[in-house]
Amino acid sequence: METLHLAEPGASVSVWALFWQAGLIVKLVMIGLLAASVWTWAIIIDKVISYNRMRAALNRFEQVFWSGQSLEQLYQSLNEKKTAGMGSIFVAAMREWKKSFEKGAKSPLALQTRIDKAMDLALTREMEGLEGRLGFLATVGSAAPFIGLFGTVVGIMTSFQAIAGAQSTNLAVVAPGIAEALLATAIGLLAAIPAVIAYNKLSADVSKIGTRMEGFADEFSAILSRQIDEKVVTRMAA
Amino acid sequence: MKAGLSTSVIFHAAVLGVGLISLGAPKPLDAGATESLPVSVISSEELAQMVQGDKTAALSEKPAPKPTTKPDVKPDAQNIGDNDNDLSTPPTPEPSPREVKQAAAQPESEPTPEPTPVPAPEPAPKVEPTPKPEPTPATETKVEPTPKQEVKPEPTPEQKTAEVTPDALKLPDSAPSPAMKPKPTPPAEAQTAKAPDKKEAEKPAEKKTAQKSDAKEKSLEDEVAMLLDKQKASGGGAKRSSDQASLGGKKTTGAKLSQGEMDALRSQLSGCWSIPAGAEGVEGLRVSVSFSLDSSGKLDGRPQITASSGDTTFDQSAVRAVQKCDNAGFTLPMDKADTWSQVVVNFDPSEMF
Repeated sequence: METLHLAEPGASVSVWALFWQAGLIVKLVMIGLLAASVWTWAIIIDKVISYNRMRAALNRFEQVFWSGQSLEQLYQSLNEKKTAGMGSIFVAAMREWKKSFEKGAKSPLALQTRIDKAMDLALTREMEGLEGRLGFLATVGSAAPFIGLFGTVVGIMTSFQAIAGAQSTNLAVVAPGIAEALLATAIGLLAAIPAVIAYNKLSADVSKIGTRMEGFADEFSAILSRQIDEKVVTRMAA
Repeated sequence: MKAGLSTSVIFHAAVLGVGLISLGAPKPLDAGATESLPVSVISSEELAQMVQGDKTAALSEKPAPKPTTKPDVKPDAQNIGDNDNDLSTPPTPEPSPREVKQAAAQPESEPTPEPTPVPAPEPAPKVEPTPKPEPTPATETKVEPTPKQEVKPEPTPEQKTAEVTPDALKLPDSAPSPAMKPKPTPPAEAQTAKAPDKKEAEKPAEKKTAQKSDAKEKSLEDEVAMLLDKQKASGGGAKRSSDQASLGGKKTTGAKLSQGEMDALRSQLSGCWSIPAGAEGVEGLRVSVSFSLDSSGKLDGRPQITASSGDTTFDQSAVRAVQKCDNAGFTLPMDKADTWSQVVVNFDPSEMF
């Protein structure tokens, strides 16, 4: 058995010292958890920003959409710039409408189906963008405590081996090893707690935005359906 | 995403930096200066010596039992005798016991004079020892008649010596008396000869019947004796000390009250004590009361104030506390009566409660 370094009694017990005194495995666990925490917070910040933007975009679009502006005009204005959320659903639907209707589609039913498909696809893409990386938060939230616990178990194991070698059960000898081992669990919890909270909050936000967009898609589908009926039927009559 | 990541990295770096600076080593727990109790390890022998000491002696480094006195060494006696002190002069014989012996011997010896002629011929065939037995029975026979005539009237030793001289005169007549050795054997023979039937008949019979049981009893007795501790139970020791006696008591229960026993007494006294209400600066007052207790734990005499607090009502409250507790009865270890016969208690409001 290799001789294990055991913190001498009265050794520095600051957090930084504990980290440096820890064994390789514990150190790796701590570094990994720290990286996970960094990435978690990056995602959280990113998502919060993007959801706020999305909500603002949805509000702006709804305002414009229900302002009584003609759909044609709105499509023209939106087609040129990059759209997000409802805008992209609207653009996708209008593109399909234009392609099919202007070329003189015969079946109104097929046209309706195609438009719905296009809107579904746009919605799915938007949702994908919104939901992306939320899974990482869930993973960190559930796995980080276990990873930290693993580091603690290894650290305590190591320190107990060292105690056995030292043949002293003085608490001053035992304590630093256990403290450094517990640091791993502390970091794990530090990463997991914000991840879990943020995951719950962000997924709720995503589902809200999703239902809002779905609602718009259904509404727009109904409007287009009415338009198809009017225009195709008149064209047929003519 | 870049914005989020960079923000996160900056945020973590800031938190870690602040943590490393502010979250240094936590302040060590203030365990408080633990009062160290001086403990000395002593052997049971030392303890025994300590508690064997004198109660009134001063405390000394080295424990020692009470000094003992050596018995006088008596020189070996040079003269034969029953005297306590070795004297060259013979002790004056006491007359009375001898009288009784002789008086008792008379009836036994009465029948002997008649058989005397019988033993005389018997030893004769035994060749050589014949002259020796002859004198002994002769002396016996001759001595015995003399007491008959003379003993009753005057049993003084002077007469005896007077009588002995005629015996001594007669002895050379009967035999050349080759020393004293053969003497013991002939009397035995003479005795057996005197009562041959009784003793010899009885002895073999007894022996034969009782031999087996005797043997068994003897072997059993031997075994019991072997198992028995032949050392005397007490009083056989010779441990001596010339050192001054150290402090100690008679019993081996320890020389002092234990901490728990002292606490019990203190709490009992504090329960009995009612501090005078309304007195100013009671917290700073302190009175020392000493009182003596008899062996049953009752107050012996009035408690004395050894160090007054300066406030008479406060002092009296302490005295009353002792008296009140005495009425209820002190709870004290009865086997340590030596230690609490004299008690000094410091009444201090800040410590008693």
